[in-house]
Amino acid sequence: MTNNEFLSLMKSRGAVLLPPGNTNDTITANTNLQDMRAAALPQFLQELYKTCSGMTMGAACIFGPTESDRGIKYPLPSIIKINQEVSGYKKLAAKTVFGRNDLFWFAVDAFGVCYMLDNLTLSVLRKYDDPYRAMIDCLIVGKI
Amino acid sequence: MQLNQNSAQQRLSDLGMDDMPVIEYTPKQCRLDSDWFQKYSILRREFLATLTDAMDEIVFMNLNQDEFINLVMGKSLPDNLSVRFRIPLLWGGDMNTDNMFLCFTFPHSHNLDRFIIEQSDAQKVYLPNPEKKIYLPSHLGGGGDGGNAASDRLSQSAFNFMSGRGNE
Repeated sequence: MTNNEFLSLMKSRGAVLLPPGNTNDTITANTNLQDMRAAALPQFLQELYKTCSGMTMGAACIFGPTESDRGIKYPLPSIIKINQEVSGYKKLAAKTVFGRNDLFWFAVDAFGVCYMLDNLTLSVLRKYDDPYRAMIDCLIVGKI
Repeated sequence: MQLNQNSAQQRLSDLGMDDMPVIEYTPKQCRLDSDWFQKYSILRREFLATLTDAMDEIVFMNLNQDEFINLVMGKSLPDNLSVRFRIPLLWGGDMNTDNMFLCFTFPHSHNLDRFIIEQSDAQKVYLPNPEKKIYLPSHLGGGGDGGNAASDRLSQSAFNFMSGRGNE
């Protein structure tokens, strides 16, 4: 699956794409993540951030490089803030959390491998070689 | 991390939910049925449809008309709202609507995830257990005492609104 195919599929399912920021936001996010010893931004997120700075679908979301204003609703935190908050959690060492829904968190490691994690214990429930499959699984739970 | 009642309340306070009640619970390791996800989807819709008796809280959730109708019809959950289990299914919670509550995804549901994750290696855990079907922090959920007891005009107005009186 390509980035465009993924975006097209999720838009057709009702996902909301948050307006894209600029390249510097992605560079800053990457540097911040590396400083806190999380995984660097993988290629698929860098590609995604060229089109949007995060996505939401009901209660599910993919975090963007910067905080996203959502009008009167609480802003969607940036991938930096989310990972700062969880930087001390051993089970997330060298991983970057990039999405969540009501049941699972989603993280990526330094090799670009994605994981579905239990949102209570952070145990790995599923491992993905295809990052777009992971993002689809993350968002789709928001609309059930 | 093993918490006690006081440290659990303190941690919730740090996470911006100082009015969230907790229950002490000993997790039981459970296996889920193979069709749990289908059951969960149905149950979530059933839960949303029961929210018609929680109007006092829903009016403070900043929903537009479409979001409101979809919510109480059990059709869909508006952005930034989450349905959570009081006792998680994997820890022995029941698959029924009494075991669910609604709250904002950010900041509350995400922070409740963190609160539980931080206790995941403990023998006994403290789980968030709001009194009503919808958790709203007390500073969002209505006014103060109102009348002569109110300390300011905003509290008085909120009280009048909540008690169905005009703001004369």
